[in-house]
Amino acid sequence: MSRRRRQALIGMGLLLPSAALVLVFTLFPVGYNLWLGFYAKHSLRATSTWVGLGNYAQLLGDPDFWRSVWLATEYAVLSTALQIVVGVAAALILHQRFPGCDFLRGVALFPYMIPTVIAVFVWRWLMNDLYGVIPYVLGTLPIPMPAAWLTHDTIMWVLIVLSVWTFFPFVLVNVLARLQTIPPELYDAARVDGASAARQFAHVTLPQLRNVLLIVMLLRGIWMFTKFDVPWLLGFGGGAGEAIRTLPVFTYQRSFTYYQAGMGAALSNVMFGLLLMAVTIYFIAFPPAEEANDA
Amino acid sequence: MPERTRRRHRGVSTAGAWMLRLGLFAFCAFPLYWMLVSSLKASHELLASPPTFWPHEWELRAYRKLFHETNFWRYFENTVAVSALTTAIVIVAGVIGAYSLTRYAFRGRTLVARVTLLAYMFPPIIMLVPLFLLARELGLTNSRPGLALTYISFSLPYALWILRAFFQSIPLELEQAALIDGANRAQALLYIVMPLALPGIIATAIFTFIVAWNDFLFALVLIGQDELKTLAIGVNDFFHMAVVDWGLIMAAGVMITIPALLFFVTIQRYLIAGWGAGGLKG
Repeated sequence: MSRRRRQALIGMGLLLPSAALVLVFTLFPVGYNLWLGFYAKHSLRATSTWVGLGNYAQLLGDPDFWRSVWLATEYAVLSTALQIVVGVAAALILHQRFPGCDFLRGVALFPYMIPTVIAVFVWRWLMNDLYGVIPYVLGTLPIPMPAAWLTHDTIMWVLIVLSVWTFFPFVLVNVLARLQTIPPELYDAARVDGASAARQFAHVTLPQLRNVLLIVMLLRGIWMFTKFDVPWLLGFGGGAGEAIRTLPVFTYQRSFTYYQAGMGAALSNVMFGLLLMAVTIYFIAFPPAEEANDA
Repeated sequence: MPERTRRRHRGVSTAGAWMLRLGLFAFCAFPLYWMLVSSLKASHELLASPPTFWPHEWELRAYRKLFHETNFWRYFENTVAVSALTTAIVIVAGVIGAYSLTRYAFRGRTLVARVTLLAYMFPPIIMLVPLFLLARELGLTNSRPGLALTYISFSLPYALWILRAFFQSIPLELEQAALIDGANRAQALLYIVMPLALPGIIATAIFTFIVAWNDFLFALVLIGQDELKTLAIGVNDFFHMAVVDWGLIMAAGVMITIPALLFFVTIQRYLIAGWGAGGLKG
């Protein structure tokens, strides 16, 4: 056996455990899911019936499905946009040196490190309709405010604010890392030309952040669109949960409340298809022209 | 601009900057402060209106209830066990896999790397139904290794991806020099590559651990027996008690957050290193 061949065999051998695990537990389930989408199947029983495109046809005519797609889109777009705004603002604040800035950097990462279940329960308590501290404080302000927030009309906003609180540190860390690599000479030049702080931000900082913001937007958008635990934990056990029944929650309910595994699989496939579409549009709108070497 | 106005200007902008810093601090820290004081208030004060920002009476009732009347420690132990098992398998398989992907030439290597990236993009919820059915088929529901296997399914692709990036950044020449000096492949890996890749390996291990530690969905679907529940679904059950005890839930939150924060503060350095390389999923 040639040396080259032996090396190749060793290489494949070392990769085997990972390849086997990914094949069995990642790729096989995805393929299995595509196939399951063509069946009517109870989640707990072994039997299944071929229905062809029946599951998908049923979804097309189901207003609850369309509503869940809309809610997931609304949630993903608004929460991602706000995470980026808050994350960039926080990065600009923390990019300066001031007494206690290391401490504040640590504190700003806390929300991301807290298990989701805890983050959601803390916010349910902060916003509690009877005893919540935030509705109380807002009630003392001289502006008209809803008396209760975990209701049908307002729970989406609570969901968005809570999600921004939990996930903005992801944006913060990526943007802060990028800010630190912007050459200070660029700002010196802008200042010599008499640019104000606002103009420096618009003409020096933002163009430099473009690539990292695009990648962060893509990743956060995907993760928010497919987020199950936050809306589920915020909404269950109350009638208002219906107002934040996003596509992932709808999928979970079909699969494990109604035990329609085939329908659940079809929904997962729809979710995947929608993501592929969004990613394709994203790459057409923002072609990776200059090699994205950051983020 | 006359000197005095300029100074006043700077005074205003410093005050503004401190307002922003305080605002950011309050936004991040207040929910945590509220969790802590809520867990230490007496029951009647917890439900007082208006709420008290600094408790009049301090009480450990909620913690006593948490430790003596719930299975909290059991949940804690299960979570640590499942997260540790996941991390161990992902790191061992990931390190040798990523080493192979960056150090050996064989057909299909690029394809494997691309498939890994694709798998990294799959949101876990898409695999919910098939993983559940697969776990049932294999008798892996209500089992800690079964739960660990599902976490591996979405942690391993991204561990491979991040580790591959770390290994690529280690110059091949270093190993070649060691090989010329008479070291064998295993020694080169152990003494040259591993020490240099260690920050990356630690960062990957932390991310993997956090994914498993935070998961709610798969534990909810795969674990039904109380003795096997993880913290996420165990604490979720506190909500289904006849009367919701907010003090108890906040106490559980504090007890879960403290070790996570201590751990996080000690490893912050590695975490930032890993963030730059690939990011944390979630």
